[in-house]
Amino acid sequence: MLEWMVWTVPTALVFAGLALLLAVMAVWGRISPPVARRGFLRIETDRGDRLYIGLISAAVVLAGWIAITDLSMWLALGCALLVAVVIGIWG
Amino acid sequence: MRLARAARRKGPGVSEESAPRAGGEVAVAEAPAEDERRPVLKRKDNRAWWLVLPVVVSVAFTAVIPLMTVVNFSVQDVFGPNDRVFVGLEWFRSVARDPEVRAALVRTLLFSAQVLLLEIPLGVALAVCMPRRGVQVSVALVLVALPLLIPWNVVGTIWQIFARGDIGLGGWTINNVLGVNFNYTLDSTDAWITVLVMDVWHWTPLVALLAYAGLRSIPEPYFQAAQIDGASAWSTFRHIQLPRLRGVLTIAILLRFMDSFMIYTEPFVVTGGGPGNATSFLSILLSKIAVGQFDLGPAGAFSLLYFLIVQILCYVFFTVLTRSGR
Repeated sequence: MLEWMVWTVPTALVFAGLALLLAVMAVWGRISPPVARRGFLRIETDRGDRLYIGLISAAVVLAGWIAITDLSMWLALGCALLVAVVIGIWG
Repeated sequence: MRLARAARRKGPGVSEESAPRAGGEVAVAEAPAEDERRPVLKRKDNRAWWLVLPVVVSVAFTAVIPLMTVVNFSVQDVFGPNDRVFVGLEWFRSVARDPEVRAALVRTLLFSAQVLLLEIPLGVALAVCMPRRGVQVSVALVLVALPLLIPWNVVGTIWQIFARGDIGLGGWTINNVLGVNFNYTLDSTDAWITVLVMDVWHWTPLVALLAYAGLRSIPEPYFQAAQIDGASAWSTFRHIQLPRLRGVLTIAILLRFMDSFMIYTEPFVVTGGGPGNATSFLSILLSKIAVGQFDLGPAGAFSLLYFLIVQILCYVFFTVLTRSGR
């Protein structure tokens, strides 16, 4: 049935991870509602906003990396996750 | 608490009907008048959220699942459902380093910048000049809104003929009355100008209508005060009208930027991306790769990078938009 979607294991893992992330955020929001505050981004964000900004920034790091250098993409993934975590905590 | 107070004024049985809110919030509602001392814990009824379900399903069906498929295509070389090779990030690498794609990105950004620089001031000027009351208002509104009612490919066809040197009124006038050699099918600058002017013609009315609505919402006493102070027309515009247009102009800039950044139909009809690559914007190049060459892998990678740029710009504009209201 899903043959036309030409799934691969890595993309399936990525989407499963995203779905899990959303589910965790929903449950977390239920347990302790998010609080908006200001960090180094200088705009008022709650943790969902920071997650979104962090994911988009991580994607920018990956895209920029692949456009510019031939260094390992695992290194890029490390940098991207670091960026996402930094934005998530102090953003 | 304002709701609860209003409910108390209206009497018992109203506060339960209040609007649904995110999460299963527990609200402390004050009891109706006869039992005022004892606060009661009430669970809000969240069943209205089920009404969102059709939207979720249709968006998943039309946007999310197709987008997932694009992601799957972008990491493979697909010849058929049973004949495909995983290539990792190879397509992303080749697309992100393709000089043609980079040139198209620069071209598209330049086009969007020029569109904004022309359409926003023109639209505001048009709105300021439009009549404020009387029967002329309807006439002006209809006349201004006319280009917005024309389908995009028809706009393209109109301008494709209009700008031609042999049978088009515009092109003929430029060539034979003004004596300027103008041929958008051969000269890349002429092609660019044609597409740009066409976009300005098509979409400045939108900016004008938004700005007009913004201007109409300014209370009359502001103008009376300016008149008493002896303010000139310019300083009235600069210090009263323009600051009050901030909200609508942000919307106008957002709409016009996104739309011009994704422009496809009009240049496709008028120039087909040519001459050479002069007007092949990102969307035209993308459709050439996806539909023309049927390279679904590179097209998928291209779409995702394009989508990322649009996402970022949308979010930046959205943030600016929602913050400017505060």
